[in-house]
Amino acid sequence: MAVKKLSKEKIAEVLQELSKFRLIAPALSDDVVIFKEIQDPEEAYLDYGNSTVPPKKVVFPQTETLFRFQIGNPELTEKDVGEEGTTVIFGLRPCDARAMAIVDKLFRWDYDDPYYLKRRELVTLVGMACVEPPSINCFCTSVGGSPFGKEGLDLLLTDMGDEHYLVQALTEKGEKLQETLAPHLGDAGDKDESKVEELAKEAEGKILRSINPEGIPEKLPGLWDHGLWKEASASCLGCGICTFLCPTCHCFDIQDEVEESGEGRRARMWDSCMFSEYTVHASGHNPRPTRKERTRNRINHKYSYYPDRFDVIACVGCGRCINLCPVNIDILDILEQVVEA
Amino acid sequence: MVDVNKLREIAREVISREDVRELIGYRPGTYGFRARPAFVMGPDEVDELIFTPACVNNLASYIALEEKPPVRRGEEPDLRKVAVMVKGCDSRALVQQMEEKAYDRDQILVLGIPCTGVVDMAKVQERFPDVLEPAEITLEGDKFILSFNGSKEEVPGEELLAEKCKRCRYPTPLVYDELLDEEVERFADDDYSDVEALENRSVEEKWDYWEEKFSRCIRCYSCRNVCPMCYCEDCVLDRLQPMWMRRSVDISENTAYHVARAYHLAGRCIQCGECERVCPVDIPLMELNRKFYKDVEDLYDYEPGTEVEAEPLLSTFSVDDSEEFIM
Amino acid sequence: MAENNSDFEPDIVAFLCNWCSYAGADLAGTSRVHYPSNVRVIRVMCSGRVNPLFVMNALQQGADGVIVAGCHPGDCHYMTGNYYARRRFNLMRNFLEYLGVEPERVRMSWVSASEGTKWKEVVEEVTEDIKKIGPMDKFKRRQLNW
Repeated sequence: MAVKKLSKEKIAEVLQELSKFRLIAPALSDDVVIFKEIQDPEEAYLDYGNSTVPPKKVVFPQTETLFRFQIGNPELTEKDVGEEGTTVIFGLRPCDARAMAIVDKLFRWDYDDPYYLKRRELVTLVGMACVEPPSINCFCTSVGGSPFGKEGLDLLLTDMGDEHYLVQALTEKGEKLQETLAPHLGDAGDKDESKVEELAKEAEGKILRSINPEGIPEKLPGLWDHGLWKEASASCLGCGICTFLCPTCHCFDIQDEVEESGEGRRARMWDSCMFSEYTVHASGHNPRPTRKERTRNRINHKYSYYPDRFDVIACVGCGRCINLCPVNIDILDILEQVVEA
Repeated sequence: MVDVNKLREIAREVISREDVRELIGYRPGTYGFRARPAFVMGPDEVDELIFTPACVNNLASYIALEEKPPVRRGEEPDLRKVAVMVKGCDSRALVQQMEEKAYDRDQILVLGIPCTGVVDMAKVQERFPDVLEPAEITLEGDKFILSFNGSKEEVPGEELLAEKCKRCRYPTPLVYDELLDEEVERFADDDYSDVEALENRSVEEKWDYWEEKFSRCIRCYSCRNVCPMCYCEDCVLDRLQPMWMRRSVDISENTAYHVARAYHLAGRCIQCGECERVCPVDIPLMELNRKFYKDVEDLYDYEPGTEVEAEPLLSTFSVDDSEEFIM
Repeated sequence: MAENNSDFEPDIVAFLCNWCSYAGADLAGTSRVHYPSNVRVIRVMCSGRVNPLFVMNALQQGADGVIVAGCHPGDCHYMTGNYYARRRFNLMRNFLEYLGVEPERVRMSWVSASEGTKWKEVVEEVTEDIKKIGPMDKFKRRQLNW
């Protein structure tokens, strides 16, 4: 597929062109990097490691209306996701894109989720390769990813170090977008692709943390009653940071919200398996009553149940959970204990 | 500086007691400069315990956070004491919890650590972003010494000290069974300048400020879960009937969430600063809680978490309470 | 945001205690006193029953202002309810102001059962004040937008 080059001086032009679509790019809110819709290229902040909240929220919004209703009226007004229009997520990292490819499998599994899949159809993912790992806790290479990974992306930009990005189209969607941007792009040289491959190897070498996941999915079912879960979860606060910031987490709750007028909506919003009410039954019984059960469930879901079902570990090694867990619960630490158990 | 050997000796003695079930302290984290909570169940585990300026967590939260699952038939619940290590600020949480009769004094064993300040871990990680191998922080005089990868760096205390420590009124624990070091005299005071700065802004500026912050909120509930004073089993923020704030995440519900939580902490927040530390999107939660803290002090001359025998603020009143705002 | 929109009619919610302020408002009614009709009254048994989160909830649901009225200190039917309410609303009002909610929107008053005229004055003053500052849109619920 076509390979082009983009001069860093022209980034603003490219963003301007892309802003004709619904353009989502990294931006700053105070000092926090967030993905948000921008109209002005000046708002984009590209000198960043990774965002706190992953761009999964673009295709899987934290709160989304499924349909609206009026009490007394048997007809529902369904949400038309198409109205959001063609969307471009610019500058996401390979791990976050790979995560979307992993989550796609679930939203296409026993039931085609119309909202999520429509958004995926409308979105083009323009990734930015990680020349430096965004965090010391990155471990994408251990779980099948790479700082220059292409899985899930439509276009990949790589900083060549010479004031240019290499722009590689990886899918049809990517090629189409690349054509739209053609006036701003130059031709790539013969040696450019191999240079990028060298840079990729260098970048992979800079990833400091690792785990060998081989055997973990097979081992986990046997460790159900092991003491390591109690120990690992003892300091857990039961908050939702690890799940909400995880690019592969996808659980949601559905709530109906009705106004006095009888008008209302059914909406879904992110839920976390670490919350105590996550599995509370209507009777009041909770099959996962303490944080030990919930921590065990989370690790099992990512490293055992999901691989069983979809042949892929539901973790892309972005390191957000390690960085932001308030009590330093470390998934790599837990996995090491699993390996040694 | 706390002598770590003395700390471990005392811990060993405590956890060996028949009437103590577990001991909550600190141990080194899994990477870099971090420290994390340790749950020691026997004397053979005390050797991992530490206390350094990296020990930022408020362990008093675990006293109230403890889950009490139903006990199997024939088993008795384990009602032995829980020992916990607390800094000055953390000890106020214990005092306030006891003030509210959350538990009896004899159910906990308090190992008090007079504290000379902890670091703001975000600042440390910003300054030294590449440190992965286990690293150490100590305080010598007014400088932090950071040891990592075989080298040492000195940083003036001011630059890495947590903001809350710069206005700490109670460095020495207010309740303890044993003190692990010499008492520390108060080295700072609180002038509420951050609250006043916001109070003096215009109405529009205030809302612009808070709107930006609350829009970032992802309702992870981390602030609520880490807070030692948020221990209600049936929390107002979770309730479905009545539903005070909906589960949806938008500016309206997020504002309702933060107002409700801050209000429920009025006269109860003991200023440990954990909420602000844990927030993944950097919402300045202390600026919210400190508004109530300042008003409570100004209007009602009350400071939570200082006296176990005091009456909780909103359970009392004075006939002479301020009426200036009443039409 | 100041709006001198003469069409703007504020929606104000008032929590009135059964024994004093509700009776006072009732007296204003039976005395055929004329006063603005912008207030929706919710009767509670005592001002001490009013949870400050009701204020927040009312503003979320679209109220432009909230009034809490109770018995004069010392006259509470339940002895001390209004004293508790006084503390709560002092704190809540200051806090909402700190967030950017104009202080004119959250008001408290002591209105006794015989003070029909006072109730009229309270309503007039609050309605006037809020007319000047405009509707409360800052954190109104917006779910019904897509």
